[in-house]
Amino acid sequence: MEGRIVKLSINKKGGNIVKGRTVLAILVILSAISIPRMLGAEETKLSMTLWNRGTVKRESGQYTERYFSLERGYLRIEPKFTDKIKGRFNLDFFSDDDALDGAGIKLKYAYLDFKELIPIPESKVTVGLIKSYFGTIYDWNYITIQKALEDKEKVISSTDYGIALYGYIPQGYGEYAISVLNGEGYKKTGGDVNLNPAYQANIRLIPIPGVTIGGSIRYEDVSFDPDTTISNLVYAGVGHIVVGPLELWGEYLVKDLEEIRSQGFMAMPIVKLKKLTFLDVDLVGRYDVWDKNIDVDDDGHSRITGGLNWNILRNAKNRPLIMLQANWERTMYEEEGKNSEDLYLIQLRWSFSTKIK
Amino acid sequence: MVKKLKFSLLVFTSLAATIFLASTSLYAASKKITITGSTTVLPIAQRAAEAYMDIHKDISISVRGGGSGVGIAALIDGRADIADASRPIKTKELKTAREKGINPYANIVAKDGIAVVVHPDNPVNVLSLEELKKIYTGEITSWKEVGGLSKPIVVISRDFASGTFEVFKKLVLGGAKVKDRALMLASNKAVATTVTTTPDAIGYIGLGYLSDNVKALKINEVMPTNETVNDDSYKLARPLFMYTNGKPKGLIKSFIDFVLSLEGQKIIEEAGFVPVK
Repeated sequence: MEGRIVKLSINKKGGNIVKGRTVLAILVILSAISIPRMLGAEETKLSMTLWNRGTVKRESGQYTERYFSLERGYLRIEPKFTDKIKGRFNLDFFSDDDALDGAGIKLKYAYLDFKELIPIPESKVTVGLIKSYFGTIYDWNYITIQKALEDKEKVISSTDYGIALYGYIPQGYGEYAISVLNGEGYKKTGGDVNLNPAYQANIRLIPIPGVTIGGSIRYEDVSFDPDTTISNLVYAGVGHIVVGPLELWGEYLVKDLEEIRSQGFMAMPIVKLKKLTFLDVDLVGRYDVWDKNIDVDDDGHSRITGGLNWNILRNAKNRPLIMLQANWERTMYEEEGKNSEDLYLIQLRWSFSTKIK
Repeated sequence: MVKKLKFSLLVFTSLAATIFLASTSLYAASKKITITGSTTVLPIAQRAAEAYMDIHKDISISVRGGGSGVGIAALIDGRADIADASRPIKTKELKTAREKGINPYANIVAKDGIAVVVHPDNPVNVLSLEELKKIYTGEITSWKEVGGLSKPIVVISRDFASGTFEVFKKLVLGGAKVKDRALMLASNKAVATTVTTTPDAIGYIGLGYLSDNVKALKINEVMPTNETVNDDSYKLARPLFMYTNGKPKGLIKSFIDFVLSLEGQKIIEEAGFVPVK
């Protein structure tokens, strides 16, 4: 059995890098808290959510990995400047074997919302490092520990540089978003950043209470070198049904990179036991299928997940503050001879928040 | 064979226990009404619940405050049968509700005026809406500027979670920011108590919280009373809601009908609010 080893030995040069990064992180946090105040923010909400995870991986009947990690540690700073202008700044702290001190930091969100900047009721314009309003990724709540299908299969990044118009359809009949994005997510910087814009549209309709249908589409030209540009079209259909304690999410996802088509789907049933008993526990299941190239026979996989979420503590608005999640996940491969993999995951998600006026 | 039988028995017992627990909780829910939300509507809900339970001895009604937002969230999550609110539901809340299979229905049960109150010893009796806005945004800081003594104004507001705050912000401040040094309190009662004990304070509360311990000011020369709220001459007024999931049915309908009945509306008037019928 091999374990993931977090290297703690740091040489002098490494120590300086760590010190420098720590100082930088502290400076960024202090600035993010104090700048809104200096700019006259009406209030600033500070919150943090931590995801402590234990993972056991089993392949071919052998346990191959077993480790604990801080999978995510979101520090959110959300200044409200006026009723019409709000900001969100999100730093993610996480365990990282590649970092000298075993910890990584990345910027997840950094955007400003301008409410009704253009004269459409219940709309806002979002600018910066923003949410990608596509499929299920933008409101993915991690009901299973695994990411949304498009995120897991690296089809769409959850965050991207760009601008979006987001709005509610009157009377609660749904929502829409139109975005122009960088299209590459938030990890690349400087000269590596793709300059071809990605155009994206999303709509969710709720024709009757408990039934949501939606769709998203993205188009972009992708350059792999200065002389070659190919088209990338991605689209998704989303469905969500709630009947009493039963809930079902479904998503169908297609990516056409020039002539190569990838496609798959996700189905996720949930049973909320609290609506039937006194237990604040949700039973969850999920089935994913993803075929990277439908013309190739052995590059697909499917994933089955089962688990439960125990909501230990909720706030006044019923949002979980402490949640224990346990998931078993099996990934099965189309490729002949490639064995399936099992993941056993246990995760404690906990949050706290305050407002500075 | 015996093992198989034991296993089947275990499965059957577990299933039966689950169904029993589910049915008992559903049965219990059918004899109980849970009301959560606005602290402004709280006295109406409490008094109406007490009167209703006096008539219907087998019904249990639980009433809690928490604020309009908390009440609406509880209705959306199925933790409350009725959400008290002193503001209309927001589109975002409506969307979330519909996603979760809830169809919020607005039952207007009363009207309320937001009374601007000061300490009874304060010589100021009247303010214009413009002066009120300037006090709350920090442009006017002394009572002298509005005809009072040369003393600093202690500004007291409701906190951001309050429906009363949102209505006040819309009707008085026009969306402007409350001054940084304002004291933000969590309930009407807390505002009334603080104004009672702070001679230079100004605050705002629902009509139902007026007492001899505070002095209500005329706004634009109009005194907040049931009559001025009813005839719309007092501008700081709003409807009060009891939101239900769809049009009220069964036990919930019986309670809402009671609140809207002659007896219920009399309770509302006694609580210091304005009846709608």
